[in-house]
Amino acid sequence: MQILGKSVTELKELIDRRQLTASEVFDYFLKRIKKYNKQINGYITIVDKPSINENILNRELSGIPLAIKDNFCTKGIRTTASSKVLNDFIPPYESTVTSRLKEAGSVILGKTNMDAWAHGSSTETSDYGPTKNPWDQSRAPGGSSGGSAAVVASYLAPLAIGSETAGSIRLPASWTGLVGLKPTYGRVSRYGVIAMGSSLDSPGPLCLTVEDAAYILKIIAGCDPYDATTVNHPVPDYPQLIKVPKKFIIGVADEYFDGIDEQVREKIDKTIVIFKKMGHKIKKIKLIHPKYAISDYTIIQRSEVSSNLSRYDGIRYGNTREFFGNEAKKRIMLGTYSLSYGYYDAFYKKAQKVRTLIIEDFKRVFKEVDVIVAPTTPITALKLGEFEKYPFFGELMDVLLEPSSMAGLAALSFPVGLDNKNLPVGFQVMGRWLDEETVLNLAYQFEKETEFFGIPKKALEKYPD
Amino acid sequence: MKKKARKIVLSKEEILHLAKLANLKLTNKEINQYQKQLEETLDYIKNLQELDTDKIMPTDHTVHSENVFFADGTKNKRGLDQKEATKNSKNKKNLYFTVNRIL
Repeated sequence: MQILGKSVTELKELIDRRQLTASEVFDYFLKRIKKYNKQINGYITIVDKPSINENILNRELSGIPLAIKDNFCTKGIRTTASSKVLNDFIPPYESTVTSRLKEAGSVILGKTNMDAWAHGSSTETSDYGPTKNPWDQSRAPGGSSGGSAAVVASYLAPLAIGSETAGSIRLPASWTGLVGLKPTYGRVSRYGVIAMGSSLDSPGPLCLTVEDAAYILKIIAGCDPYDATTVNHPVPDYPQLIKVPKKFIIGVADEYFDGIDEQVREKIDKTIVIFKKMGHKIKKIKLIHPKYAISDYTIIQRSEVSSNLSRYDGIRYGNTREFFGNEAKKRIMLGTYSLSYGYYDAFYKKAQKVRTLIIEDFKRVFKEVDVIVAPTTPITALKLGEFEKYPFFGELMDVLLEPSSMAGLAALSFPVGLDNKNLPVGFQVMGRWLDEETVLNLAYQFEKETEFFGIPKKALEKYPD
Repeated sequence: MKKKARKIVLSKEEILHLAKLANLKLTNKEINQYQKQLEETLDYIKNLQELDTDKIMPTDHTVHSENVFFADGTKNKRGLDQKEATKNSKNKKNLYFTVNRIL
């Protein structure tokens, strides 16, 4: 039985039809991890003894193993957020996301590498070494959920959970040719997720198909009594709803094409033409220039970081603050500045007001269109180490992702082509607040039409069984 | 409406003050590095002054939720006992955390 490249929903069908057992699937991935993880460095902790019992086999995930970003607390499994501060931290409790996945019958393959504390867009700030992009191992997979992206692109897991503050799911999905879904803020619980920007953090999946994204979202979404910011709103049956194709009005804003690499632009333009041919209506819109979102996001996020990282004192768990890496210290310093007496109004409060402007701007546009589309990133995957040339590396790479994150909207990235370096180009769809359904529906239609040109599984040619 | 913003200059003392507030010990090299990087960042983000926000309310959350409470009688299934709560600490005695003397 060929397992290579099978999606979660495909694996589920094979297990349910008894053509495969859950143990066979787990052993298969473990074997691949042992073969390839040293090259990729996607996992920093590998769990090699799962408990697969009959009990979990009748549930939604039928014993299917998944990879989890290392900022989700997993009971009894080391959780570091890729920082040496938490080098030996074994959580005594389970995050809501992993707890829901386990209840649905999934087991954990391992914990994936990330930028330390999710601070970065390349996975190079990890204290456990950079993750390599499976498409070209001299390049970064993007970040901060770079480990999660790399293990799916090299099929060391059929799907991985990541988290996005502003770009950390969509960017690595784009750079590794995957589908990455950033749900609406509050749609998925943050309980047990090591906090970066508490008003922004959104857990979500990185996967091979849109159906997988819809399937996993249905399991992990929903109100949680342990996270007061989760939205008390029924969870739709996403996997069913995406199969009823609808026609949408698609908004395109010139502001999101400023300074975009020519080859990226060409693929995005082609994709828009395909949507038009499929019967969707394309409408020009005008949005606040994303360059302001960079500044706005920088202030809000640094402020929340400095506050969130203040709890790491080495008293109750973990190591002392001397173990913080350079990037974390830099962010704490700026956040401390922007929240300080005398600067609060000029920076933090100003940024909160600009955040309102960004939200209102989207609300206005979403009266005229159903979704907004744009490139996911201005360029394709960079070489490892190249980020040092850019003082604002993360913010610049995430420029097209920050506005929708600031507004807490649903968004998804999927692959639409390869550039002349044979690297994937990502296309993003942003939707209304809580409207994952429309975003997934449109992406699913495109997948049916093009199969994403075979891109999500293409890197696997380099990683045979 | 455009407002001109001056370049912000940070002194070494200000950097040390921030480090003290954040409970970080910095080396001389780090002090110089952060002084430069923080100035660069502050210089970039001043473009927000170009946007008029005089009559705009600030946003701190995008979910607009009111107070959220546990319903009466809800069992807190995820509470930790003392042993679990202190399990990861390197500073403990008889299941209590130990800290430096304050007074």
